[in-house]
Amino acid sequence: MPASLSRRHLMARSTAAGFFMVAGQWLWLTPQEAEAKAFEPQVLTADQCTALAKLADALVPGAAAAGFAAYIDLQLQAGDASLLIGKYLGVDTAAQTGFYQSAADNLIALASEVMSFSDLAKGMASDSLSEWMGPPASYVLFVLRADALDVSYGTPEGFEALGIPYMAHIMPETSW
Amino acid sequence: MVKEKQDVIIVGAGAAGLMLAARLAEGGQSVTILEAGAERQLGDLISSQIWARRLKWAEPAVSESGDHKIGHAFNAGSGTGGSAIHHYGVWLRMHEGDFSLQKDHGVGLNWPLSYADLAPHYDRVQGEVGLSGDAEQERWRPPGAPYPMPPLPLFAQAKVLSKGFENTARQTSPLPLAINSEPYQGRRSCQYDGWCDAGCPIGALGNPLVTWLPRALAAGVHIEHNARVSRVIRSTANPSRIESVEYLQGGARKTLTAARIIIAAFTVQSVRILLSSATAQHSAPGNHSDKLGRYLMTHPAATVFGLFEEETYPHLGVSAGQLLSHDEYDDKAAAGGFGSSQWMIGHAIKPHDLLGYGTGRPDISGPELEPWLKRAARHLGNMTLVCEDIALPENRITLSDKVDSDGIPYAHTHHDLAPTAATRWTQRMSEGEEIMRAAGAQEVWSGPRIGMHIMGGAVMGDDPTQSVTDRNGRVHETDNLYVAGPALFPSSGAVNPTFTLSALASHQAEHLLVTS
Repeated sequence: MPASLSRRHLMARSTAAGFFMVAGQWLWLTPQEAEAKAFEPQVLTADQCTALAKLADALVPGAAAAGFAAYIDLQLQAGDASLLIGKYLGVDTAAQTGFYQSAADNLIALASEVMSFSDLAKGMASDSLSEWMGPPASYVLFVLRADALDVSYGTPEGFEALGIPYMAHIMPETSW
Repeated sequence: MVKEKQDVIIVGAGAAGLMLAARLAEGGQSVTILEAGAERQLGDLISSQIWARRLKWAEPAVSESGDHKIGHAFNAGSGTGGSAIHHYGVWLRMHEGDFSLQKDHGVGLNWPLSYADLAPHYDRVQGEVGLSGDAEQERWRPPGAPYPMPPLPLFAQAKVLSKGFENTARQTSPLPLAINSEPYQGRRSCQYDGWCDAGCPIGALGNPLVTWLPRALAAGVHIEHNARVSRVIRSTANPSRIESVEYLQGGARKTLTAARIIIAAFTVQSVRILLSSATAQHSAPGNHSDKLGRYLMTHPAATVFGLFEEETYPHLGVSAGQLLSHDEYDDKAAAGGFGSSQWMIGHAIKPHDLLGYGTGRPDISGPELEPWLKRAARHLGNMTLVCEDIALPENRITLSDKVDSDGIPYAHTHHDLAPTAATRWTQRMSEGEEIMRAAGAQEVWSGPRIGMHIMGGAVMGDDPTQSVTDRNGRVHETDNLYVAGPALFPSSGAVNPTFTLSALASHQAEHLLVTS
């Protein structure tokens, strides 16, 4: 058996993810690092990233710092190689960018001083936001929450946070 | 290097295609496989539910409609090994009554084969692949050779859940699995880490990369990857003879000829290829009676969850589960709907991804989430119901009006669940929640109904006016075109299909070698 298949082969550094634009330069960063360095999104706008990350954080606290917006933007750049869970849910990769843009634009339009992101999440869950446009809000909420769970708990670090031994056969070199 | 002409072209390097390739090549046939997806190796099977998404369907999308969609993107696969590269290894025989649904109950379709016809092939294949189980404890199992390996060990979750079955006067047995409980034919035994859905790189789970592929390659089978078949082409001199296969590779349109052609491209794509092969002069092969694409099936399934006071450690074990219950399987006509059903009990489970426990509780979020996830990570139990689907002609695969960038039509699927099957599913889910409470769960909830496995569309039968192929999978009114895989199934039963499609391919291989 090749050495690369050795059981529970732990990598010293496991979360390098991809190139992100930071202050006009392409840097090889983890999504967490990209988030911290205020990366420049390539598909979504900065406002769209902020809105999506705020909702993700309301659903799964810590998702924003874990690199939620950077993860979504990076996967949308990947086209057919996208690893977003929407692939399982009937969101064709060609339609994924529009799906996330629409979700973010709804959040931007509806969020206000009197409507927090937690309140928005409740309204989305019950499809009671009368001004929501596009795919049903409850479905969008399900997808974004699943993405936030991926970012926060779908990694060796996330398993550790829950007290679950990761026990990889082949450790992922990058989280995604 | 592709030969100019070979004895057999097989379209699709999945469980059925690779098995047929190995058997036919070992029997002296020259075989080329055309696989639409990328080459996969064991090193690609990374332990991550996020990276595992690369193994699922990655070719042009299949659109879906109906009240019970087939879930193509989740159920299908892409590349060497096909969907079997990420299958969970539940290898169950269909029961005798699954083969005669129309005859016994006046619903659905009959198979042109009986259980007795396939039994020798079930026995042979289980020895080649390696199954772990306990045939005596599996009291509902049809006659057959005992399993070559003992069952996998039980972990805490299964022991907790089994009490629910005992307390409701139900029985369980070890779940029979194509997973090694001990070293088998040079392959390792399982290490119970629950990464089966991401693909097993250690060779413990009998996916085609470690079962049929090495044999196929050793016997001289040639595989062309990234070779997407657009259609089969009839001989102009003899239209009942299929002369060649047209495929796209690297932007080029190519053709390949062979004496026999086997379409084993999983359910939807097998039908898509045949439907795309119609010409102005001839209907699509197998579609002279408008049966091609019809009788599409997917098992209605769902998972029941419970939280227990006891520690269950649900990360341990295998994705498939640990125990089986078929108590109600053979009473298809029991009150409360129609069809067989089974429980797979005690899955190893992750916190995220489509089947994860965190994803399945959208009502829990915010500050409550992490404490709840931590509790579930130690105290969760789960089990999955699989019910029978009934073959209906209205449920079908068709070609979309849209074409992809290569000019190939997209496939579209429509699937509604028969009302009697839906009623049976509802009944069994209610019973499942009772079982979970009887096991001592303090909190019980259920996941949504999903489509699990995809079958039918090119059903086999003795009557050419009512089916697409004959009992050997040869497409009616053709001399040399065959279909292999679950597209052939005239009924679904309520068992996972990989063992049956493998036994069926073994039956086909025997026929093809005898008649070559």
